[in-house]
Amino acid sequence: MKKAFALSLATLVALVSFAVSASAKTTVLTPFDKRDWHVIAPQDSDAPLRDYAILYDAGGVDGALGVIGIPSMRTYRHIKCGVDLHNFPFSGSNAGNNNGTPDGKYLYVSDKGSDTIAEVNLQTGWPERIFALPKPFGIHHSAALSPNGKYLWATGELTGKMLKLRLSDGATTVIDVPPAPSAPDYPDTGRAGNYVFSGNYYHSTVMVFQQDPFKLVKEIPVGKNPHGTNVNPTNRVVAVCDKLSATLSLIDVQQLRVRKVIPVGAGPLHNQWDTLGKYDYLSCFVSDSTSKIDGIRGQLVDEFPIHYRVGHNSIAPDNAYYCSQNKFSTGLFTPTGIVFAVNFELQDIDETSPTYGKSVKLIPVDGEPHEGRMIFANYIQRWNTGKGAELFTKGYDLGDVHISFDKGPGLAKVRPQLEPKHADNTSKVWIPRDDGKPGITKEGDVYVVRIKAFSYGYVPRFIHVPKGAKVRMILTNIDKAAGLTKNPDVTMGLAVYGYYGMRTMLISPRGISQVAEFVADKAGEYEFYCQHFCGPLHLEMRGTFFVDPPGGQASLANGDYDSVSMQEQLLDESESEFIVGTNKLMNTLKEGNEPTI
Amino acid sequence: MKKVLLSLLLVGMVFVPALTKSASAGESAVGNGSALTDALQIGEITGLGDRQVTIKTKFEKSAKTYTLHLLPECYVMTAKRADFKKFSELKKGDLIAAYGWYKDGKWNARRIDILDTNDYLVKRLDMDAKAGVYFKHEQY
Repeated sequence: MKKAFALSLATLVALVSFAVSASAKTTVLTPFDKRDWHVIAPQDSDAPLRDYAILYDAGGVDGALGVIGIPSMRTYRHIKCGVDLHNFPFSGSNAGNNNGTPDGKYLYVSDKGSDTIAEVNLQTGWPERIFALPKPFGIHHSAALSPNGKYLWATGELTGKMLKLRLSDGATTVIDVPPAPSAPDYPDTGRAGNYVFSGNYYHSTVMVFQQDPFKLVKEIPVGKNPHGTNVNPTNRVVAVCDKLSATLSLIDVQQLRVRKVIPVGAGPLHNQWDTLGKYDYLSCFVSDSTSKIDGIRGQLVDEFPIHYRVGHNSIAPDNAYYCSQNKFSTGLFTPTGIVFAVNFELQDIDETSPTYGKSVKLIPVDGEPHEGRMIFANYIQRWNTGKGAELFTKGYDLGDVHISFDKGPGLAKVRPQLEPKHADNTSKVWIPRDDGKPGITKEGDVYVVRIKAFSYGYVPRFIHVPKGAKVRMILTNIDKAAGLTKNPDVTMGLAVYGYYGMRTMLISPRGISQVAEFVADKAGEYEFYCQHFCGPLHLEMRGTFFVDPPGGQASLANGDYDSVSMQEQLLDESESEFIVGTNKLMNTLKEGNEPTI
Repeated sequence: MKKVLLSLLLVGMVFVPALTKSASAGESAVGNGSALTDALQIGEITGLGDRQVTIKTKFEKSAKTYTLHLLPECYVMTAKRADFKKFSELKKGDLIAAYGWYKDGKWNARRIDILDTNDYLVKRLDMDAKAGVYFKHEQY
């Protein structure tokens, strides 16, 4: 009996100790009072709400960058940068896919509205400098960073020019791209420091520029109205979305010729390679889909439906998710005002996942975002754990590589918190649909400019006012079938780029007109464009606003461009030292002295 | 003399095609397997030196060996979640993706990702190679 009791007791003790040791393996939470709040490394007691990646989106008409967590799709914040933001590379290097090889310091976002590039410090979360581009220029994109991260290339879509910009001081080299009309559109750089590629929708070509010295070397015919132009991470091919041909052209980087044309979904706009160059994902606006191309086979291998018309796209840095950045949200969200929210749709692209190919999140997004790029979240340091001073003065480490901040012009002792103005010196009102005749009339001393917008154009397309004129600009959306899209909520926009960008930025949903009043006090020839996405040919929707100087007609050679290039209106007077570049530094690069790799 | 000429001819037959294949301007790399001029190399680490990594390429028809020189700003991280590592943490047998460029006779690495062999894309490249669809042998 005693023996049996002892045996049972021993068994019980063994079972209990096994259970205890098993449970001890499962949970160890750092006790609250033992936690070191100054430690940056992740701890087991961290809240489970952290996202592993961040999607930055150039918010378009918002004038702000959106900062969104991946995979939660929570919007963390907005960073105000200017007027009409289009796209950006992260600082570091262009090595890899579209997300590049970031160092976590900056991104450089193009502002089509103000014709500038804003440098945003990712660590502080605010713009630090504004690159004022030489005038006239008319930037669209600035996606192209050199391999060594010291230069940017930007496309002057609105004047037919291209520029190479030195990031240390904003000095530029500008070249014309004949024959006119010419529209350098979306650029990307060769990963090995050789070429810059840019679509040209007027020519239906991809232009090839040498990086160093900077010059046009070739135009390669591709499908109609090419848009997204992205170099593969291997640097062997360039994928070009032939928007109106519903094809993808693959250009051989060494031979500079098209090797393969692949039929894809209708209206391909942008493309994103994964980090290994295996698959390329295309946003197809007309077919409402994501086309997946096998970069080895040269074939369309999959197509995922999306819920709403897509524009740009982005891919997670670990290739697990793809974000379809959609342009319309008809009937999807609760109305919040005249301007509707667009939406982002997260798709699972992990082939081993049970939800592969499906949309896993869909969120409303304000503004009208253009390009998005993602970065792993742990590039961004924890400034609020007592390490701020160290991060500020010494920088941080990525493994055994130390990252510190440049001491550029005006930045020796400070990290500015710039808040560029979005729509300044403007008086804007909404009115019921204006049915006045399109054109210019004079009411007292005011030039009343009535412009009708439709898919895809303006009446009138050419507007002349004398320098010093008081202008009342009335934009009315006269779209009936909403073009190819059949969407009832097509909103038309009108922004005069550059100096007048902040003074216009008109938006007109159907049934409502918008009016802006301003003084045309800077002479010159300024393109205007539709800044609110309206369909596949939205990009080609353009006109020209001439502010004629006394005794002559404005042109790209005749205007107050030196004065306009100073961009004082974008920042407060006390912050003007953080505006770099401008016409004074035009063509001052010493080509070849500072190579791009 | 005859022997010398014959040796020269043999040497020429062996080395000249290899030299022209490596990186002559205008010749396409597409479809021909990895090239020194590629900006991305994927392979297993076979040797480690002073900020130097030697790799044997993977998922290709014939494996090639490249020595990669890490630029001062080149960092090492895991391809999943970007856990930053020190160079000394790299070890032989690691499968890596190296991003960089060929210049002045060296392949300069700007970033090294340690790949996860369970990642779907790595598995896909492996399965494709086993089925005869090799990485960097573009079929066009």
